[in-house]
Amino acid sequence: MKYFRYVWKNVFRKKGRAFLTMASIVLVLILIVILTSLLSAMEGTTGTGKGASHIVVQHATGLANFMPLAYRQRIEQIPGVVAVAPEVWFGGIYKDERPENFFGQLSTDPEVWGRIHDDFRLPEDQEKTWREQRDSFIAGKQLLEKYGWKIGDRIQLRGTYIPITLDLVLRGVYAGPDESNIFFHNKYLENARTFFSDKTGIFFLRTQTPEQVSAVCDGINRMFENSDAPVKAMPEKQFQLQFMEMMGNIKLLVRSIALTVLFTVVLIVANSVAMSARERVTQIAVIRALGFRRGQVLALVLSEAMVLAVLGGLFGIAIGVPVVKGLVSVMSHTPVAPFAYNVKITAANMLNAFGAAVAIGVLAGFVPAIRSARVSIVDGLRQVV
Amino acid sequence: MAQPLISIEHVSKVYRRDSLQIPVLDDIDLRIDKGEFVALMGPSGSGKTTLLNLCAGIDVPTRGRINIEGRDISSMKENDLARWRADHIGFIFQLYNLVPVLTAMENVELPLLLTKLSRKERHEHVRAALSIVGLADRMDHYPRQLSGGQEQRVAIARAIVADPLILVADEPTGDLDARSAEEILDLLNRLNKEFHKTIVMVTHDPRAAARAHRLLHLDKGVLSAETHAAAERGRESARP
Repeated sequence: MKYFRYVWKNVFRKKGRAFLTMASIVLVLILIVILTSLLSAMEGTTGTGKGASHIVVQHATGLANFMPLAYRQRIEQIPGVVAVAPEVWFGGIYKDERPENFFGQLSTDPEVWGRIHDDFRLPEDQEKTWREQRDSFIAGKQLLEKYGWKIGDRIQLRGTYIPITLDLVLRGVYAGPDESNIFFHNKYLENARTFFSDKTGIFFLRTQTPEQVSAVCDGINRMFENSDAPVKAMPEKQFQLQFMEMMGNIKLLVRSIALTVLFTVVLIVANSVAMSARERVTQIAVIRALGFRRGQVLALVLSEAMVLAVLGGLFGIAIGVPVVKGLVSVMSHTPVAPFAYNVKITAANMLNAFGAAVAIGVLAGFVPAIRSARVSIVDGLRQVV
Repeated sequence: MAQPLISIEHVSKVYRRDSLQIPVLDDIDLRIDKGEFVALMGPSGSGKTTLLNLCAGIDVPTRGRINIEGRDISSMKENDLARWRADHIGFIFQLYNLVPVLTAMENVELPLLLTKLSRKERHEHVRAALSIVGLADRMDHYPRQLSGGQEQRVAIARAIVADPLILVADEPTGDLDARSAEEILDLLNRLNKEFHKTIVMVTHDPRAAARAHRLLHLDKGVLSAETHAAAERGRESARP
């Protein structure tokens, strides 16, 4: 601690350079906070939280193919399954085709919706009305705030791949982890469409406990593996991740970006620390003449890199947290909204980012520190004397 | 005969630059007693600074032995030598070599960071050292806020703060005007007389050399002459 003043003053010996170097670390740390939050959302386990017991079943070849509705009864028979709802992604156009008017539109079975979506809250009277009125729908609280809807309002959804127009009345508002969708009656959709009325896009179900998810998925997959329409059952989070991965191996991309920026900033900080150390060869020779050992010089120069990196890291994390929150807010109005709700700043994310800052300090400071420790006292003093 | 403080026996130094071997000192024998003030003179490249560096333990001889207080420093391991320097040697450089980002007080405190003294004790020592050099009122000044003479006095305070036995000075007045140089030489004299510091000083300046008890001449790496009571003669020749 008694050396801290010496380290601190040397770090800010050239303030402009120190602040620019720190700014590069801050920017990288903001990026790291964002990327680790995205990564943890992608890699998040399904073993915690209420949504952890959710399973989505789709056609094995993809969402473009539908499955027979008759599968529902068979899936319901699997031990551990609480309830199963066939759901269809309507994908209609609300008002116009602008992205900000896009939101999730799912037909479902209101009779079991509440039992499956145990992570959502819908007032009982509203749920009852929704069940009773086939042309009614419920919407997430966030959508109400976004569009200014009120109970009793009517909306029209113009179908795209299902060529019909839905005329729906808002009868309920739910709250929960993902408030960016609307749910409406399966029966209304069946009545409105004239084709594949005995099929569904997905089955959404809940198991009694999260621990049963894996076994139930296996059971469902095995049950239909030799049928005309084999299925793929998976935890809800994995299902959401599929949409991200349609764009490629996002996780690999995110990791590559994170490593690239980390490596780049290590080079930037290393260059800055090395420049600073090179300019002080005589000073280093003097303190070694005074009795500082090579190891102490190494520790001092390494500490300078650490101070820069840790300060940059703390500022980066402090700024990164609100940035991620803002990003989630923006994403929640886009088609990746369900994924956005999983993007959270956790203590682990912040710890990871801080660890990255420490790693930047160590990696960037190591070579200049070793070089400084190797400076010959006689050669160092000769530079000016 | 009393044991000398510094005993240099058959010391040679050869520097290697790539495939070249450059002999700098050749078979030097020298004894310096405790409390002596010795000046090393000679033309550039004669090996003065190399001899000073060897006495200070910041360089090691190619051949021969250097005993200080009866201890062979030429065979010490690097870390032991660093500790030994911290305890025994005070350095005064021509260009002062203060750390520009540290105040006078922080610069003087540097050698004490290697000790087990508390912060309070360190500051007491620093105040005492700066008082001796007459800069107690400049403790919070940065080197850039001091004159050359004041900077050198801060460097002297740094050299004496850990109370070393030996002060090594490499052209301590070489970058100063005549008046400042006289002040620094007066200060060195005082440290030698009042505080019994053994001083080994490299200089080109006859007036500086005149302050020493003994004047050693080096030429092409060999001790060519030794003059006693040089002070009087130096003073005489320095008068206009």
